[in-house]
Amino acid sequence: MVLEGVARTALLGIEMGMTLVLITVGLTLIFGMMDVINFAHGSLYMLGAYFGLAIVSVTGNWWAALLLAPLLVGLLGGMIEYFSIRPLYGRNPLYHILLTFGFAIMLHGLVTEIWGGQVQNIATPAVLEGSVDLVLFSYPLFRLFLLGVSVVVTLALWIAIRRSDFGIVMRASAHDSEMVGALGTDVNRVFTAVFILGAVLAGLAGVLLGTARAVDPGMAASVIIQAFAIVVIGGMGSYRGAVVGAFIVGMLNAFGPMFAPEFTDALLYLLMAAVLLVKPAGLFGNPEAA
Amino acid sequence: MRMPSESMPSEKRSKRYNRRKFLAGSATLAGVSVAGCLGGGGGDSDSIKVGFVLPFSGTYSFLGESIVNGVKLRLDQQLGGEIDGKTVEYVRQDTGADPATGASITQEFLQSENVDFIVGPVSSAVASAMKPEIASSGSAIWLNANAGNYKLVEDSCTQYHFRTSFNTWQTSAPLASYVNDNIADNVVLSYANYTFGQQSKNLFREEFESTGGTVVDEIGAPLGTSDYSSFLQEIENSGADAVFSFFAGSDAVNYINQFSSFGLNESMTQTGSGFLLSADTLAAQGTSATGMYSLLHYTPTKQTDRNQAFVDAYSEQYDMTPNVYACQGYDSGLAAEMAINEADGTDTDSRVSALAGQELDSPRGYFRFKSETHDPVMDMDIREVVETDDGVQNEVVETLSRVEGPTWGCSL
Repeated sequence: MVLEGVARTALLGIEMGMTLVLITVGLTLIFGMMDVINFAHGSLYMLGAYFGLAIVSVTGNWWAALLLAPLLVGLLGGMIEYFSIRPLYGRNPLYHILLTFGFAIMLHGLVTEIWGGQVQNIATPAVLEGSVDLVLFSYPLFRLFLLGVSVVVTLALWIAIRRSDFGIVMRASAHDSEMVGALGTDVNRVFTAVFILGAVLAGLAGVLLGTARAVDPGMAASVIIQAFAIVVIGGMGSYRGAVVGAFIVGMLNAFGPMFAPEFTDALLYLLMAAVLLVKPAGLFGNPEAA
Repeated sequence: MRMPSESMPSEKRSKRYNRRKFLAGSATLAGVSVAGCLGGGGGDSDSIKVGFVLPFSGTYSFLGESIVNGVKLRLDQQLGGEIDGKTVEYVRQDTGADPATGASITQEFLQSENVDFIVGPVSSAVASAMKPEIASSGSAIWLNANAGNYKLVEDSCTQYHFRTSFNTWQTSAPLASYVNDNIADNVVLSYANYTFGQQSKNLFREEFESTGGTVVDEIGAPLGTSDYSSFLQEIENSGADAVFSFFAGSDAVNYINQFSSFGLNESMTQTGSGFLLSADTLAAQGTSATGMYSLLHYTPTKQTDRNQAFVDAYSEQYDMTPNVYACQGYDSGLAAEMAINEADGTDTDSRVSALAGQELDSPRGYFRFKSETHDPVMDMDIREVVETDDGVQNEVVETLSRVEGPTWGCSL
């Protein structure tokens, strides 16, 4: 009984954590490379859900939504970066905050105007309905799928950042973009690519979580708070930090209600404060860059 | 933490940038200038002025719009914009979810706009901030179209307050004996951990225990929780045969969908306050909600001629089916009409005494303002979610007739 409960809660924690990675990675990579704090990131996640909703209602095909919605969000993210953020590189970060905050406001208004303020939900595809028996307990199939997709994407990204040429350029640009530029790489294109990547991941999370949870215009604001907390805990700009931070927060979300249901939210901020006191740059942040 | 969607960007941003807010602002300006032209600033005998103190931005904007739609359906569409030969005018301002904003709008409406009726708010916290303004001014009737907190009546009740909505007792406690008789004699309580959720579960608990039932455990989740799985595990571990819950909006959707995806619906029966399974949330809850019971004062699918006429009129006007908030707005319109038509004089106090104890021809069924509290005495529906050809819907399984509730020491 106890073992079963702990095992299931642990799986919950892993699942919550890994899905948070999808949202957080974009935020932290964009900050790490471009020093841009992207307040519109939650809105890109929200758009993923609403695009998914629209695609499912038109085509009736969930898989089409899973594929197309993130690409659309990526396209939009790329346009936002190219036309509005790019001209502001090198300026005081306040400019980026104001700009992306402005986008968050506009996208919230736009979504409410188009889809209305009521709560909606993307229907779970029939093949992913039901539960799976995991010996000790049974677990909803869709949530396992969610976990699987998140793990695969996280690992693939990890390998790409470590091993691929583009990953090397990315890391080099984050370290010293001027030098990379001097060596003949178009750094601006790298930035745009990273922004698109972050937007695609947020859009993907939007479709997946928009199926598992409610879709409403408030979802952007509620996710961005957790995502920022994870970035701060893990260390701004660190991929490893985002993964570990999301994992810790996922566990906190899962086990919190067992021990302190009243304080689940407060625990997140306590953890954040504790990490900042001991390691001001976050668990995996670069203290010199801070 | 407060609901993030309220406290973070959405609220602050909308104050300045929301288009509706801008329109509302210009409407108010227009209202002021019209009143100025008439000389003496409103309150004159040629017009009736209704002030909407509602959220038009943020999480609850949809509720605010629904209430306005309901009021206008009665006063503009059905009465042609006139009551007793007087033209109906409107002013509206956005409260967001902020009590202080609600109070200052109320003050402005009472002092500068000279409104005859105040319709709103959605949030009980906003209502508590508005109450002293309205009580001390005494120049307008307050048609409370959604704020259900029973403490508005318990703590120094005011005669200007008429609830065209419901109180927390009515949407929770009356379900207790039904659950005990028909579903289970033991329950676990789960609720959104804020004033409304706490009141609902406390009032249900009191009534359930007095009918001989046992409350096994209670589990509160923070408002705005998006993943309830850990809380659901606690609920399952309680071993109760039934659950009574209060959640609303996106919380209700997340809670119910996850409740069923973790298979809790196979071992326990979910019941709750009607906001848990309302017309607004059912579309997103889908078949997850099948077989669950809830209690509310308005059910759009209720099979009565009165309700059908309302649903038809509303759908024709706004191209969507009415929800409970629209019904509350509509009843506010009925109440305004009644207060004007039945009063001996044109002053607020004679309108108050005309409206107290009065019955309204509400789509929800029987409706009367209780003389002691000005809370509604009304029919409450116990509904079960069923699958139909039009998707999942609430089906009324029993109507509790003329539910009154306590007076909480108020005797007006």
